[in-house]
Amino acid sequence: MMKTLGILATAATLAFLAGGSTAPAAEIEKVFQFYCAQCHGLGGKGDGPNVTKDFPVSPRNFTNAAEMNKLTDADLKNVILDGGPAVSKSPMMPPWGKTLTAEQVDGLVKHVRVLCNCKGKEG
Amino acid sequence: MRAITHAAVAAAFLAAAAVPGQADAAAGDEVFAAKGCTDCHYTEGPAREKTIDDQLAKKGPELFYAGSKFQKDWLAAWLAEPVPIRPMKFGSLTEENPGGHPKLEGGDVAAVTDFLMGLTSADVEAGVVKPKKNPKGRQIFTKKMPCSGCHQYTARKAIAGGRSGPSLVEAGLRLNPDWILAYLRKPDVFKPVKSMPVFVGILSDKDMANVAAYIASFKPKK
Repeated sequence: MMKTLGILATAATLAFLAGGSTAPAAEIEKVFQFYCAQCHGLGGKGDGPNVTKDFPVSPRNFTNAAEMNKLTDADLKNVILDGGPAVSKSPMMPPWGKTLTAEQVDGLVKHVRVLCNCKGKEG
Repeated sequence: MRAITHAAVAAAFLAAAAVPGQADAAAGDEVFAAKGCTDCHYTEGPAREKTIDDQLAKKGPELFYAGSKFQKDWLAAWLAEPVPIRPMKFGSLTEENPGGHPKLEGGDVAAVTDFLMGLTSADVEAGVVKPKKNPKGRQIFTKKMPCSGCHQYTARKAIAGGRSGPSLVEAGLRLNPDWILAYLRKPDVFKPVKSMPVFVGILSDKDMANVAAYIASFKPKK
């Protein structure tokens, strides 16, 4: 019994170290599609239903690796939490810091890196 | 015993006749169920959704605070002649709203209107917000925390704004100004899982009141 518990504890620790506190990828994709896709599009290309001809800016295309590589993960986190003005960008990107959990924000940063297939600027 | 029953029925009838709204509300509740409205809308609070899946499973908006949210004249007209409020289908970011919400006819309109207008929320403080075009509200709505990113409105006689949220074109005819403020102040009470950001702790109470007054001023020009 003790041995089983020990194995389970070790497995839990390894899982924690491997995944940090980030929510599962499928859950984060759902979060992305519910909140972010309104402007950034389901595939992250910046083509959500809000982007009409009078939308004053072009929402970030997350699949553009060259552009996405100019941003650090901290930049991404800041803009999600505090909105576009936090990184000198448009307020059309609203602050999500009071809406999303810290775990969801961290997960979204990782999800965006999957969409751009890029690691981003070191920082 | 029978006499007592008859007397009670007669008293109830007279009471109902004296307060037609109440009689209509009860009838409206029955119509609401009989017409299948409950297939898409729930009318008893509190809000049930806890997850994104819960929210996406809904076919239509919750109505347990309809009487605090809507204006009665608008609601009656809409139930008789429904036109889409949301550009996109409820819960979808890819499908256009096809329209076709069932219509009510005859006495059912007034009855269901009375039923829904009776569904009020104690979380809406009455008489706080007066519709008013105001520069601070406008600045927040269009620029600072741009509601216009997700909600349509009328700008220079043309419809502008995003399409993921419900349209706010002529929202001053549809929405109770006090409810708009309450919705901003207490997001968890009305719609705990929604794709609109929480602005509590971001916008001040005064900012929220200015935005609510601004949105409530969206009415057709006379």
